[in-house]
Amino acid sequence: MNDSNQIAVTEENLEDRELIIDQLMDEYSDIILHLVYTYVRNQATAEDLTQEIFIKCYEKLDQFHHQSSIKTWLYKIAANHCKDYLRSWHYRKITLNEKLFEYLPSKSKEVEEEIVTRNEENSLATAVMTLPLKYREVVFLHYYEELTIAEISKVTAVNINTLKTRLKRAKELLKDEMTKEV
Amino acid sequence: MTDPFINLKRSLKKTVFKDLSFSCERKHAVREKIRGKQSHLHFHTWEEETLVAVLESVQQDEKIGYDISTFLFQKNINSFKNNEGQLYTLLHFFENKGILQSNWKDEKKYYSLTRKGKKLLVGARKQEHAKVERGTLKQLLEEASL
Repeated sequence: MNDSNQIAVTEENLEDRELIIDQLMDEYSDIILHLVYTYVRNQATAEDLTQEIFIKCYEKLDQFHHQSSIKTWLYKIAANHCKDYLRSWHYRKITLNEKLFEYLPSKSKEVEEEIVTRNEENSLATAVMTLPLKYREVVFLHYYEELTIAEISKVTAVNINTLKTRLKRAKELLKDEMTKEV
Repeated sequence: MTDPFINLKRSLKKTVFKDLSFSCERKHAVREKIRGKQSHLHFHTWEEETLVAVLESVQQDEKIGYDISTFLFQKNINSFKNNEGQLYTLLHFFENKGILQSNWKDEKKYYSLTRKGKKLLVGARKQEHAKVERGTLKQLLEEASL
């Protein structure tokens, strides 16, 4: 991971918190948005949550003590925020409604068409996006955000060996999924 | 065995994340929210004489919050009576703005004026003498766009 233009957060410039958040947004907002999307798989929700995440960072900036890089710290806040959202009553209510809709014929047709129109290029992306969350999370952080397993462990608070097992299992799941299609 | 995820980054960039970017409008919304949060910490919340007295309390020597509150009480400033927590909010605000600095000793936080704080206090007094007008410290704070 490239940290060459890391943003310096020091005691002196804490008063310029607004400026730091600006810099963080310029540097990381897209990858945070992609991370959030991987969790929630909905663009509008992902944008709302990313917005909240940067506000949260602003509030927590004085708790950043350089034990990790600012990037890892940011990812951690983002990952926790997404998990809180997925656990929330609001989200569960929405997904229950969506599940009910799936049983209606008109809706499921749309979904089928969507699956048919996907080409070679995006079949890998789509397959990853349909993996269960715990696999999707580690695959995304490792292959897209290019974090090491140790860094992922910091971000997700999941044990390194568990993460390795999940990666391995994710590969198996993906292979099954891809061969099924062919 | 080749890694099935090797092309994932390229694949995601070309498809799922193709048009997924955090827009300027969204960034602007974050800035707005942050400013909204700052406003409740604005110096206008407090009386001019309270602001001046808090700075004066640590002019000679550094003090802990409790001693500052005693000092204010002696000066008959009751803004923080039964509301001591607000004093710490103000101290924190001054500290964030670089007007006060703090120093931990024996698990107590001692406050003192920074150079910026001293300048501000002297400036406020000068203007007050010249114009016999209230609210000069606030004016100076405003001019310094704090």
